[in-house]
Amino acid sequence: MLLSATGITLRYGAATVLDGVALEVRRSEILGLIGPNGAGKTTLFECLAGLIPCDAGSVACEGELFYLPDGIRPWPEQPVRWALHFFEALWRRPRGAALEFARGLQLVPLLDARIGTLSKGETKRVLLALGLLTPHPLLLLDEPFDGLDFRQTRDVMALLRTLPAAGRTLFVSIHQLNDAARLCERFVLLSRGRVVGCGTLDELRAQAGIAEGGLEEVFLALT
Amino acid sequence: MPSLRTTPALLFGKELRELAASRAWWLLLLLIGPLVGHGFITAVELYAEASGSGGGPAALAQGLSPLDGILVPTLSAYDLAVTLLFPFIAIRLIAFERSNGGWKLMLQSPASVPAMLAAKAAALLAAWCVAWVPALLAIALWHLYGGWLYAPETLNLLLGHLLRFVLAAGVAVAAAAIAESAASAAIAALGFTVGTWVLEFVAAGRGGWLERAASFTPTSALRVFELGLFRLSTVAVTLLLGLGGFALAAIWLREGWSLRRRAARTALTLAALAIALAAASLPRTAFDLSENRRNSFPAADEAALRRITAPLHVTVYLAAEDPRRMDLDRNILARLERILPDVDVRYAARSRSGLFEAPGDRYGEVWYEIGGRKLMSRSTTERIVLDNLYQLAQVPPPSDSDAEAPGHPLAARPSGAAWVFYVIWPLAVALCGWLHFRSRSR
Repeated sequence: MLLSATGITLRYGAATVLDGVALEVRRSEILGLIGPNGAGKTTLFECLAGLIPCDAGSVACEGELFYLPDGIRPWPEQPVRWALHFFEALWRRPRGAALEFARGLQLVPLLDARIGTLSKGETKRVLLALGLLTPHPLLLLDEPFDGLDFRQTRDVMALLRTLPAAGRTLFVSIHQLNDAARLCERFVLLSRGRVVGCGTLDELRAQAGIAEGGLEEVFLALT
Repeated sequence: MPSLRTTPALLFGKELRELAASRAWWLLLLLIGPLVGHGFITAVELYAEASGSGGGPAALAQGLSPLDGILVPTLSAYDLAVTLLFPFIAIRLIAFERSNGGWKLMLQSPASVPAMLAAKAAALLAAWCVAWVPALLAIALWHLYGGWLYAPETLNLLLGHLLRFVLAAGVAVAAAAIAESAASAAIAALGFTVGTWVLEFVAAGRGGWLERAASFTPTSALRVFELGLFRLSTVAVTLLLGLGGFALAAIWLREGWSLRRRAARTALTLAALAIALAAASLPRTAFDLSENRRNSFPAADEAALRRITAPLHVTVYLAAEDPRRMDLDRNILARLERILPDVDVRYAARSRSGLFEAPGDRYGEVWYEIGGRKLMSRSTTERIVLDNLYQLAQVPPPSDSDAEAPGHPLAARPSGAAWVFYVIWPLAVALCGWLHFRSRSR
């Protein structure tokens, strides 16, 4: 087990945002975190990454994890090339790694553009490149396909699928269930701060008590 | 092959890039030239007038010091800049990265929060050094005109401005770390400055701990260096305040800490800072680095006073707002405290103004006691007080007196200065800024 979380609880005043969340991430898998808006997906990731203090619970992780937030636009005045090289040097990655990920994410034409001038999808691909440049065995990716068009989503998904073979584990928050079903092997279904289902699609079907149907049907049945 | 660049160098480079992208910094560079230039040109012209530029003798030649006449007015532009412009640059360096999400990525990097803050501080210092180029140009021009500068008092004043920078940076960085937004941080930083002005206003003439605290406000601290004094307590307190700001920032920039944990660490830090500040404010060690020894007794008198080893007790029946008390404090007691090993001063007047003291209240008297012998005087004149002390301590007064320090009159015109500060500098900054921003455009 690469990561194990138990009893993660977080309250903002009277509101309970996370309520005793327990989950496990297995080595070299792609685990999907799915749930409706406001379920607490981003908050859970920030708790796991240590960016938000939990009120209760514990997280055990073999090795370190890196969390790539959604909706950020870091260093908007700087060119993409600088950001990639900065991360390459900061994390002591082999020279050329930044360019390799830039090629894989079709960022080469954007290398001299300032991050602040990029579209949402372009920014997302730059962020993914930054995340992939880190050496951590576990990556938490918050909405990695948000802002990407169909072709870009397909290409990024293909790239992410190669990572487990290279020894990396992905825990991915996705609100598009179709994308989640195409990418992930197992799922954690979060609703109102609680884990309401966990497992493969077959296991989720069993938990939902439905004989057949896709992730959408399971989602509707469990939330 | 791993990169050979070290993490501190990487962080420093990143912060420099972020500073260069800050329009506030370019605006500071643009404005500082004319501000310094105005101070310098006005100062040189006034200095020339006082030096007898009309053709007559230099009436005030003995009193003409380039420290007061040229350096202080020229460099006062930096006091203005560090108060009103620099905080925005420092705040942006923290708040902008927090708001755009870069800080969340950096918090997960191999660099620690103190290391990242140190890189930001180093970049701010580098940016501030660039802003000092007009000051160096002014000094160079003064030399070209044939002007004189006394190195110890010049370097001491530069140190004062450097400490002023450290304090301003600490306050701004702490405000940016604690406040939710850059706007709130700017209000907090300016609020600190206004608060120190209020403290100076309220403390004026009150005496006691309030006046003591007011003597360490940024303006008062800088004034010490402008007088040519190197006072250890001023250096230590200013440094501690600045570093304290960075320590608070290091607490509030850790996003994974709960509010309770941050508050507890803040309280601990503030308590430790208060103790350190109290200790740092105690030393009386000070050195008069002014060329004309304006803060000291004549050397012969100092040598005679050093023979007094017994404690000196002074009881002053003068109110805090009485100008005689201010003269006594500044010209006599402050100097005695730097020379004699043990000076104990007690202020015995009951009122603040001294206007309503009763005839039997001994108002106006100053009592000196050495080795059980007492003497009263109403004078605040240096010569009379010193003679009284020699008599009390039974120490022979010095026979020879020092020659007065020579003044440095110079009836020079500020040739070319207007071109340098009003035309060439703004154009150079504008050109560099334009080239920089153009190279970054898509």
